[in-house]
Order: sequence, then structure tokens, then C-alpha cells
Amino acid sequence: MYDVVVVGAGCAGMRAAIEAYDTGASVGVVSKLHPTRSHSGAAEGGINAALGNTAEDSPEKHAFDTVKGSDYLGDQDAIEIFTAEAPGDIYQLEHWGCVFSRNEEGKLAQRPFGAAGSPRTVYSADITGHVLVHVLYEQLMKRMEEGSLVVHEESFAWRLMVEDGRCVGVVCWDLVRGGVKLVTGRSVVLATGGMGRIYRATTNAYSCNGDGMAMALHAGLPLKDMEFMQFHPTTLYPSGVLITEGCRGEGGYLLNRDGERFMARYAPNALELASRDVVSRAETTEIEAGRGINGSVLLDLRHLGAEKILTRLPGSRELAMTFAGVDPIYDPIPVRPGAHYMMGGVATDNWGATELEGLYAAGEVACVSVHGANRLGGNSLMETITFGRRAGRAAAEHALASGRRGEVSDAPARDAERDLAQLLSRTDGERPWKIRDELGASMLENFGVFRYPDRMERQLELIQELRERYRNVVVEDKGEIFNTDLTQALELGYMLDLAWCMVQAGLAREESRGAHSRPADFPERDDERFLKHSISRWGDDGPELSYEEVRMTRWQPEVRTY
Amino acid sequence: MKVALKIWRYDGATGEKALREYEIEAPEEATLLDCLDIIKDRHDGTLAYRKSCRMMICGSCGMRMDGAAVLACKTRMAEIAASGHVPVISAMGNLPVLKDLVVDMTPFWQKIRAVKPWLDTGYVEPPEKEFVVPQAEMDVIHKESLCIMCGCCVSECNSMEADPDFLGPAALAKGFRFVGDPRDRATVERLQAYSDEHGIWDCTRCYFCNERCPKGVDPRDAIAKLGAEAMREGIDSDMGARHAKWFVTSAKTTGWLRETELVPKTQGVVRSLKEIGFAMSLLRRGKVPPPFPPHVAKDVDEARQLYELVEREGHEGARGIVQLEKPLARLERHEAGYEEAAARGPYGPGSFPKPYLPGENESTEEGAA
Ligand SMILES: Cc1cc2nc3c(=O)[nH]c(=O)nc-3n(C[C@H](O)[C@H](O)[C@H](O)COP(=O)(O)OP(=O)(O)OC[C@H]3O[C@@H](n4cnc5c(N)ncnc54)[C@H](O)[C@@H]3O)c2cc1C
Ligand code: SF4
Ligand code: SF4
Ligand code: FES
Repeated sequence: MYDVVVVGAGCAGMRAAIEAYDTGASVGVVSKLHPTRSHSGAAEGGINAALGNTAEDSPEKHAFDTVKGSDYLGDQDAIEIFTAEAPGDIYQLEHWGCVFSRNEEGKLAQRPFGAAGSPRTVYSADITGHVLVHVLYEQLMKRMEEGSLVVHEESFAWRLMVEDGRCVGVVCWDLVRGGVKLVTGRSVVLATGGMGRIYRATTNAYSCNGDGMAMALHAGLPLKDMEFMQFHPTTLYPSGVLITEGCRGEGGYLLNRDGERFMARYAPNALELASRDVVSRAETTEIEAGRGINGSVLLDLRHLGAEKILTRLPGSRELAMTFAGVDPIYDPIPVRPGAHYMMGGVATDNWGATELEGLYAAGEVACVSVHGANRLGGNSLMETITFGRRAGRAAAEHALASGRRGEVSDAPARDAERDLAQLLSRTDGERPWKIRDELGASMLENFGVFRYPDRMERQLELIQELRERYRNVVVEDKGEIFNTDLTQALELGYMLDLAWCMVQAGLAREESRGAHSRPADFPERDDERFLKHSISRWGDDGPELSYEEVRMTRWQPEVRTY
Repeated sequence: MKVALKIWRYDGATGEKALREYEIEAPEEATLLDCLDIIKDRHDGTLAYRKSCRMMICGSCGMRMDGAAVLACKTRMAEIAASGHVPVISAMGNLPVLKDLVVDMTPFWQKIRAVKPWLDTGYVEPPEKEFVVPQAEMDVIHKESLCIMCGCCVSECNSMEADPDFLGPAALAKGFRFVGDPRDRATVERLQAYSDEHGIWDCTRCYFCNERCPKGVDPRDAIAKLGAEAMREGIDSDMGARHAKWFVTSAKTTGWLRETELVPKTQGVVRSLKEIGFAMSLLRRGKVPPPFPPHVAKDVDEARQLYELVEREGHEGARGIVQLEKPLARLERHEAGYEEAAARGPYGPGSFPKPYLPGENESTEEGAA
């Protein structure tokens, strides 16, 4: 038994593991991917902290931008902690060796990002997530060498273990060798990342299926603000991979089919650098009005010149060339909105603690809530680091204080073996991929950038049908070694449950706020009725919805314009 | 489009191997990874391979196509499919296969860990804020920091095939990432460790790693930079180092490589006595020139001038080898329309019109011409 078990090894998980270890705990990390394969590595644009290296800035300004960006749904006490602690966390990463880009003085360079009052996004060209993941893994390897930090990589966590009202570990499927194994600890930190794969068009990796949220949901924990899925305005057509906001930060234009910089009509001041929800809606409106090309608009970098594109945005150029056959030095890039980031997640307090004793959560899987109804670009990498650290610390302190406990029961392993054997024994039925594809396409159609009541109703029905079909799903691979056919089927089960929570919460939120937009029936924000978090809990007949107050400190809701 | 693939299947439980052929219908823009997904979904759920990001950054999907390592998500299939060629897909080389296209990466990571891959700032207390370092100094490790640990280089490495204990291209590139980092204070210890047996001097310079790396890391160049830095620090007890040193001395003094002296200078006199029989047989067959008197090339001055130039310019050590151009320009090779686009320029005839703000659209018509 470890002191702390960390489930997930992206930026949040690794940062939590390092902190727990440095606090004196023995740490076991469980991840279905090798840590450096985590999707944090795909983040391109950067990470926000008010260092003031490029222009004057302060944590207060950062906090205000975040509150406003959240459309006032963010919890302000959490946001203030976040922006105050972010600079120290960035310096820590730099001291560990993170390869950030530098300004003329040799300090950390900072670039402007959407909806930010000051250039505060620290970056490394356009591979920021990549350098973060690798520096964190370097620190993990250093601690692995020392001893009491162990990584169980390619272990798929499936269920939380709860005993006497405390979380005591996870039930895993060993991908490499096959078989069920238990990884137990006095505290557990969930850091399993996002769930963009619920949508067909997404920037997220194949591994982003909301596993941790679903595990928590089924252990009886509340999920918060699940209707808020952020659509990123610039995902490449047709593949869906992300073209970073850094492109617009460096001065890129968004054009419709006529070459018009249409953002001037939607956000006259901020133009292309308006908040993501605003830009995604503008694009969708243009496309639906027939001013798009192949269901896309264009991201134009040509005026930046070859030099700037090659030095600041080489990765974006590589993606555009490889996946769309377009060289941005000479031609604009076709882009459209795609599912990108889940603002909601497992509800936690400011130390990452959940309702269940011994269970913590951090990163995209969690909802603290720093992002409210809309996340600002560059804020979520920072969240993974700052709240990853806090959750790691709190989990370690909890574990060290809770003292030795007897062995935990291995009944969960037997239950899991029985359930998996049942799934594997089925030979007659449907393969998962069709259900997965239908879920992805219909969520995009019925619960995308704009949400209409009839379409949401239809989506709820469809999810029931898909869940029904899922009961008879067939796993073709019956083997033990590297059976991804099995784990992909399990992931689909998670996504079906989460989709239900999302649409249910969306239907009930009769207003437009941040990423949740109902142009036909409720086009305005309604602070009177809905300045509150929605809470989804799994009941006897699916998710049950309730509400919770937003924690406010200094900022009263104002009309949000850019 | 129709895509046909042959895949080497391997069952880790039984040890059975088989080459299976699949024919599928895939969208025009499909990559090799997309094709594998279609096979797994619709044809054979038992096929195993790794994937995650599908955007060339997570390093999961290294495998071999027609015997050469590639990232599946970076490999577009349209051209291959159109040519009618049926490529053979197999697991990466130099690593044990677990199942189908999945290899055991444990040996790979063991070597990464062997180079102590974390920043060591020694006794230097970190400043309150960031270390101040000019971008130009960080650029020295730019290429190495692009590495995604996919293993494609290791898969193709010749030395690794002969000596499984060779640290190998990825680990050594990671090593240079720290040696070249101005914040790292363990340079000498690192260079000593990397110069040991199974280290930098065991590379055969086959350049396969540079050739196959999907991210432009150029691990062989990193190894060369480590060698140059080791020399600069006077770490040259390894045979490989002495070999390289003698190479330079010989070229500088005579303009030739004096092979007969190479062996004693590299291995030491005692050990090279054992090679005398071999050397004599080479001499008899005219494979090496007689050692005495040393033969001096006519244009030895050129070699000497070159040597002095490098010295004068201060291009010793890694700084003489660092090149940033390639990772930035590396894409220009495989984009078919590149030359045509470059010829017309960003706003030439046939380009997308110049952008305009609402209300100023009069100016655009000419751009669109
Ligand atoms: C393309 C892209 C670009 C982005 N760019 C930016 C940016 O520029 N700035 C910014 O601030 N944010 C950005 N974001 C958002 C940000 O990168 C993510 O929100 C953040 O990295 C999530 O980190 P994480 O540690 O929570 O999760 P992840 O990095 O996704 O890690 C999840 C981990 O959990 C593990 N895991 C998942 N399920 C299981 C399971 N069942 N069992 C065991 N392990 C499991 C995985 O193996 C993985 O290790 C971007 C996101 C995307 C998709
Ligand atoms: S150049 Fe050296 S490291 Fe690279 S593949 Fe060849 S032998 Fe291996
Ligand atoms: S050096 Fe290149 S080929 Fe080798 S592991 Fe790194 S990215 Fe892959
Ligand atoms: S799937 Fe991530 S590199 Fe190919």
C-alpha cells in the first residue's frame, strides 16, 4: 500500500506525484499511457502567470480576466489563489530545467493570449505542453531513482475502491500483461484529464474519455458544471488537431470566404483575440450563413512572414502541412470550432479535496472551479500545475496523518474479474465503434457551439438508445496482452454516462453563459436564476441535477464584451 | 480510397507470427494510423498498436513501414495507395515485441534513465525568479528538446543491433540536452559517463537515426556535439576519443589519415601489437600505405587552414556543430505543392485574396486577381 496513489500522469498527475513525494509520502502513479504520452504534451500555446516580464501585470489583473472570462461562474476565491501562486510555480518549473522561450533580456518571454489584459502567456515556441511534460517526467525519473516513487504505466484504472467511507485505491486492468490488479493507498489523487472524445471533431487525444469523471460519478461523487464544453475556434479541417491560439496571439487573422476579417463585427476591440466562446460562435454564425468554405473559415498567417512563422509557430506549420497540405507561409489554414476542453468535472475544494475522504482531484478532470463557464487559453496548463501541486500536498498530508491501516479487502478485484469475464465472454452483439461514432457525431450536431431545446431533447433520447445498444457490446479480442479492444469498450461506457450528465445539465440551464449558448430560447445570461453551479450525481435512474452557489469575493457580475 | 496493408502479427502468448493482408476503404486524407483504426474497428479487433495524440507529439505510434521506422500518425497513405504498392507494417526493431506492433519500451527507458536526465544545478542556489539565459544559449539545445521519445531512432540504430547495451541515439540526445544547457552544472561528470563503454564513441556514424527521426532531433549530431565537448574538456581516454583525436592530428599534419598509426594511437602500443599480423596482411595487399616515411599530402596547407579557421572562429565543441536551420526547414521536403506555392508567394496570382476589415472591401478585388 502506498501513501498516495496518483491516477493519471499528465501535467496534473506528475506535478501532484512530485509534490506528494517531496512532502514525504511514498507514491504510486497509475497511468493508462506512459507519462510522456499524456495529452498535456499536445498543448501548444502556453501557460499563464502574471510575471510582468513583457508588460506590467499583476495577479489581480490575471484574476479579473479569469473571472470575466468565466462569465462570472468561476469561484473567485479559487481564482485568487490560482493567480497569486502561479508565478512561483512557473519559476519552480524553470529551475527544474523547463525549456521556455526567452525575451531580449534573457527572462521568460510572454505572449498575448485571448481575453487577457496583458501579455502573460509563458511559452516554448508552440510546444509548451511538450516541454512541460518532459521536464516533469525528468523530475519523476529523478525521484524514481531515489526509491519510493513507482510508476505503473499502461495500467488502466477502471473503478475507485471505497471502504468505510474512504477512498483506498483503484481497480486496474494491466494492459501489458492482462489481468486485474489493485493499487491501494491512503489517499488517491485523480488526474485523468479531459473527455473531448465524446465529440467527433475534437482536439483531444484518443485517450481523453473522461475516465476519472465517470469513476467518481459511479462512486457517488458530484460532477460540477458538466454542460460547459469549450469549443476551440481554430481546429484544423478536416483532422480536428489544434492550431494554437498563439497563432492569433502572434497576429494571425480570421477570414471568411471573402477574405473579410469578420471578427470586427463580433468583437470590435479584441478582434481575433476575443474570448474563445465568442470567437467560436462568430465562426459558427459565419459558416451557417454560408460565408465559410467546406464548413470552415480561414486562419491567415501570411502577413506575419516566413521568419516569424518558422521561429514562433513551427509546430503549427508542421501540422497544417501534414494534415491539410497547406503551408501557412503561402496560404491560409482552414479551421473550424472543435471540442477542446471540459470546464466541468469532479467537484473539489481549493486543495483538490472531494466529498469522499481520501479522494482528491486535479487538472482537467477536476472542477475547482477556476474556469467557470469558459476557460481562458493558457489557464488550464497553469491549473494543472498549481492545483496539481496543491492536491499532491493535501493528499500526502492526509495520508501521513491517517496512520497505518490494516490491509484492504480484495473483494473489488473479484468483482472486477467477474464483470470483465462476463463482458469478454459475449460473442454475439455489436462492436463498439459504431456506437462511439454515432455518439460523437450527434453530440456535435445537438450539443455543440449553439444549443437548441428540441435538439437537446433528441440527444437525450439518442443517448438512451446508444446506452441500450452498449449493453450488448462485443469485445473481439479475448487475449490478455495489450488488449486495447477491451479498454476502448470500457471507455465508451464512461462516455455514454457523461454525455447524459452533460445534456441533462444543458437542458436545465435556461440561459446563455460562456460556452453554453441557447440563441433560440434563452439568448441572455440570467444571473438571477443561474449564477450557480450545476451539480450532477448518479442516482437510481441516471444523473440527478441540483445547484450550488458560486463563491464570490470582489467582482460583481457585469456585462461581458470584448 | 482503397488501401491495402500487410501487417506482421505477433501473438505474445503463443509466440506465433503471421503476415496478414488487409484491404480497406479509407478517406483521402487518412494516415497509416487512421488505416489501422479502420482495420481494428471493422475488420479485426485483435490488432494491437499504441496511439494517443494522433498529432505527432506523444510518441506512441512508432512502427516500421517497409522496414523503416515511422510515426503512423505522420504517414499519409494517399500516395502509397495510388501507386498500388502494398506496404509491410511491422513492430519497431531493437526492442522486444509484446504483441503485433507493440514493443516493450522498458530497455528504451532504462537507457534514458541511465544518462541522469534531469537538470543538475549543483551547488548553485536558484535565483528568486527565473535563471536569466539569453535565447541564443537556449537555442543550443533546441533540437534535442524536440524529442518525443518515440524510439524510431533506436529501432534503426546499427550499433544497438550489435551491442544492445549501447546507450543509443535517444538517450544520448537527451544527454546533450543537459550538457548544452547553460543552467546545468554537471557537464564534466556527464561527459565522462557518456564517454564510457557503450557510450558516444560506440556509435558507428551510420546516420540512420538522423534519417528516421520524425521530429528533426538529429541524434547523431547530438552525439557529435557530445564528442566535441568531451574533447574540449580533455575527456579522451576512450578508444573512440583517441581515434577521433588522431584523425584530426593526422589530417592537420599530413593532410592524410595515417592508418598505420591510427591503431596504436587509439588502442595503445601493447594492445595494438596483437593486431600486427592483421596490419602486415593489409600492408602486403596494398590496403594501407607503408608507415615510414610519413606521407604528406600536396595540399596539406588547405587542411591546416581549415583547422585554423575553426579555431579562430571559436567553433570548437558543440558550438561548431549546432544547426538550427534543419528543424525549422525540415518540412519543405515532403510537401508536394511547396515549390509551386513558393513561386507564387503569399499574395501572388492564384493566392487567397488579401484580408480586409469590414467596410474596406474595395481594396480586395485586385488581390484576388
Ligand atoms: C491540443 C490541445 C492544446 C492545448 N493547449 C493548451 C495551452 O496552450 N495552454 C493551456 O493552458 N491549456 C491547453 N490545453 C489544455 C490542457 O493541455 C489540458 O487541459 C491539460 O493538459 C490537462 O492535463 P491533465 O494532466 O489534467 O490531463 P492529461 O494530460 O490529459 O493526462 C491524463 C492522464 O491520465 C491518464 N489516464 C486517463 N484515464 C486513465 C485511466 N482510466 N486509468 C489510468 N490512467 C488514466 C492518462 O494516461 C494521462 O496520463 C490544450 C489542450 C489540447 C487538447
Ligand atoms: S549514427 Fe550512431 S546512434 Fe545513430 S543510428 Fe547510427 S550507430 Fe546508432
Ligand atoms: S530522437 Fe527522434 S526518433 Fe529518437 S526518440 Fe527522439 S523523436 Fe524519436
Ligand atoms: S499518436 Fe501520438 S505520435 Fe502518433
